[in-house]
Amino acid sequence: MTIGFRQKLDALFTSISGLSVILMTAALVLVLGPILLKGASAVVFRGTVEFRQMQLELFGRGNVLDIQAETTEVEAARNEVYSIIDHFKKGIDADVQIKQARDIYREYGRQLRLRQIPSDKFTAWRQKVRKLRDALETAYTTSDEKEALEQLDFVLSQQNIPEVDDTAAGQYFQMARDYRKIVTEVGLDHKEEYADKFKQVEEIIKDIFGPRPGESTILMASEQFGMTRWDRTLFHLNRLLWVEEWVEKKPGEPLVKVQRPRVEQFAGTEMVKVFDLMEDNLQAMQHPKLTIYWQYFFDGDKTTGHFFGGVGPEILGTLLLTILSMLFAFPLGVISAAYLIECAGDNLVIRIIRTCINTLAGVPSIVFGLFGLAFWVPMISTISGNPAGSSIMAGSLTLAMLILPIIIRASEEAIRSVPHTYKEASLSLGASKLRTFVTVQFPAALPGILTGVILSMSRAAGETAPILFTAAVAVGGVPDSLFHGGTLALPYSAYNLAVGDVTGARVPHNQFGMVMTLVLLVLLLNIVAIVIRSRVSKKLLGH
Amino acid sequence: MNIDPEINPEETDMTQTQIPQLAKNNSSVRLAQMQMFSADSYATLVAAEPAIITSHNFSLFYGDKAGVKDVTMDIYPRSVTAIIGPSGCGKSTFLRSINRMNDLIPHTRAEGGLMVNGINVYDKQINLVNLRQQVGMVFQKPNPFPKSIYDNIAYGPRLQSVKRRSDLDNMVEQCLRSAALWDEVKDDLKKSALALSGGQQQRLCIARALATKPKVLLMDEPCSALDPVATGRIEELMTQLKDTYTIVIVTHNMQQAARVSERTAFFCLGELIEYDLTRTIFTNPSIKQTEDYVTGRFG
Repeated sequence: MTIGFRQKLDALFTSISGLSVILMTAALVLVLGPILLKGASAVVFRGTVEFRQMQLELFGRGNVLDIQAETTEVEAARNEVYSIIDHFKKGIDADVQIKQARDIYREYGRQLRLRQIPSDKFTAWRQKVRKLRDALETAYTTSDEKEALEQLDFVLSQQNIPEVDDTAAGQYFQMARDYRKIVTEVGLDHKEEYADKFKQVEEIIKDIFGPRPGESTILMASEQFGMTRWDRTLFHLNRLLWVEEWVEKKPGEPLVKVQRPRVEQFAGTEMVKVFDLMEDNLQAMQHPKLTIYWQYFFDGDKTTGHFFGGVGPEILGTLLLTILSMLFAFPLGVISAAYLIECAGDNLVIRIIRTCINTLAGVPSIVFGLFGLAFWVPMISTISGNPAGSSIMAGSLTLAMLILPIIIRASEEAIRSVPHTYKEASLSLGASKLRTFVTVQFPAALPGILTGVILSMSRAAGETAPILFTAAVAVGGVPDSLFHGGTLALPYSAYNLAVGDVTGARVPHNQFGMVMTLVLLVLLLNIVAIVIRSRVSKKLLGH
Repeated sequence: MNIDPEINPEETDMTQTQIPQLAKNNSSVRLAQMQMFSADSYATLVAAEPAIITSHNFSLFYGDKAGVKDVTMDIYPRSVTAIIGPSGCGKSTFLRSINRMNDLIPHTRAEGGLMVNGINVYDKQINLVNLRQQVGMVFQKPNPFPKSIYDNIAYGPRLQSVKRRSDLDNMVEQCLRSAALWDEVKDDLKKSALALSGGQQQRLCIARALATKPKVLLMDEPCSALDPVATGRIEELMTQLKDTYTIVIVTHNMQQAARVSERTAFFCLGELIEYDLTRTIFTNPSIKQTEDYVTGRFG
């Protein structure tokens, strides 16, 4: 081999190793970058007025007066939309109209009684108004356009009769005029069709704005508020403005998805204005403001899909699980490693044990999860007397089993790499084996052992499968007991959002936020361990 | 009842009682033993005080292989005894047998008698802690613990349950003074021992060994990792210490053996070839093999 060739080989080796470092960095940035970037949107985003209302109502944050003023402002802008919708709804929804007609009739009766009109006149007047009411009801219920117009015209022809002057019954004429407009513009044939399409619009608007003031029936906690984030508001605006349709462009070919403006469905009606208003005026209706929601890391959230609030209980649960599992696994792992090195000889049994430990380190985590379900869950329930179920204790014991092999192996390596001379020196001074291990070998091996601890801690914090059946719950708050009730945990909640049909899609920021929080949490734990390790090493090296 | 004849308690008892007799009273045996050595120096070889370490037909086996074979020699108090010989001759093995450091190696087995200060070293019931406190050891490479200088010295006393701060302080100072290290480190006793230089570390190890108040100090090539200046200081230290302690030193450096020791034993292939006053070994050895070795023609 010539010198030149050797130099070229050396250069090649250097460049390959340099390249691999660059590749690894790039991969890390590619993986972590988007997670952190998207996760950051859970904390820094443009919050709408709904967000501030939510913060006020659920967490008691913010200035009540300011928010009330803002709400009034926003309501004024929203009312334009609401009034158009309500108006249109009248034409579509016969039941509402009929109910209104009956209410007016009842009110008319009360007004007559208040005026102390004689009883014979009272009955006659009521008869007249009742006729008007019946005509309106017939018009609302019939599907025959001609009949409906006849009835409405009859109502309108009665406009000047004295019986209705200055009474509630006067409203009948406005109702008749409105409905007549709808019948002539839309036609009764399309009424049903409109009802469906209108319902969709109404739902989307409810998604954006939340329940209307005074609306009392809120079925789900997640419907308590409208869109708290501007990006989600825009997403729903898009849903409002465009309709997805699958059309067959050529016969026999697969369907193609096309987006059509939703406004087409309401062409020629007053609803068109709603779409224009929503598109142009949404800022005034939602008031987006740049928000830094640092309380995200402390707030709880009791809705199933994490619609409001933050991940405080999740962080606490993950920390509890990780730290408790380390408390179990660390002493046990170090003692096992010390036994394997110092006490156990090299016989068949020990070799089998070693093989088992190595195998355990490679067992899929779901196996540990099932073991935890079959062993630790009933065990904890027997010990604590609670009904069998998820508990932090069962989860952390399962996690401890998962990371035990890693800690044993790392500790074994670390203890083995302590110079033999330390042990010799200690023994030659008359120390027992135990004392030698505790005072000399263990402290010297501690930096190496801590490396194993760092690795296993990250693993414990990020594992989902072992806590799936043993500790994690989907909804809840701060855990109140280690022995029953389970806890929220970051990896499980992220998983839960991802598989929970539509919820994940509704709160993408939260999904990324949880993953980001997990990454940051692991990073933080690692930094703490690394600081401890470097301090121990420094102390050992005497700097 | 006793399956293994080696741990027959009767036999152990016998050796225990026999050895002192052999060593102290049975002079004919001793004479026969000594006939292999120079007859002239016999009178000076046997010092005024009785021997502190007595080895009688002592053998140590690693599995089936003998590390040392049938070594019979007496080591006298308050003097330096050097053990020289080529590599693998068993000199370190013999030295480490004296405080049973060979136990760290699995499958070792001892035969014959080895007494230190009246204790049978290979007795099954022996308290190893006591033995090792009486027989301190300094190793080839300086091996201070990764702790502070103070904690290094205090390690031995703490094992003996010395708890009071003032006692420990006194002891640390005294040991460091004995090891001629006090003046160099008195201001930074809290500093890590690993920050010291190699020579200082080795003196620290000597001080550490002295802190258990041993009678015997075993030194296993203590200067092989040091430069000549540091070596000189250690040798100087040895000559000071020999007034108080019995020092046994294994060395590859024959000049060192000649400089510091009163008596020298020459080992080869696990056997004790010759044991005599250092002067005699280096000037007028009675066995050809020794002469070849000390003059550099062999090994």
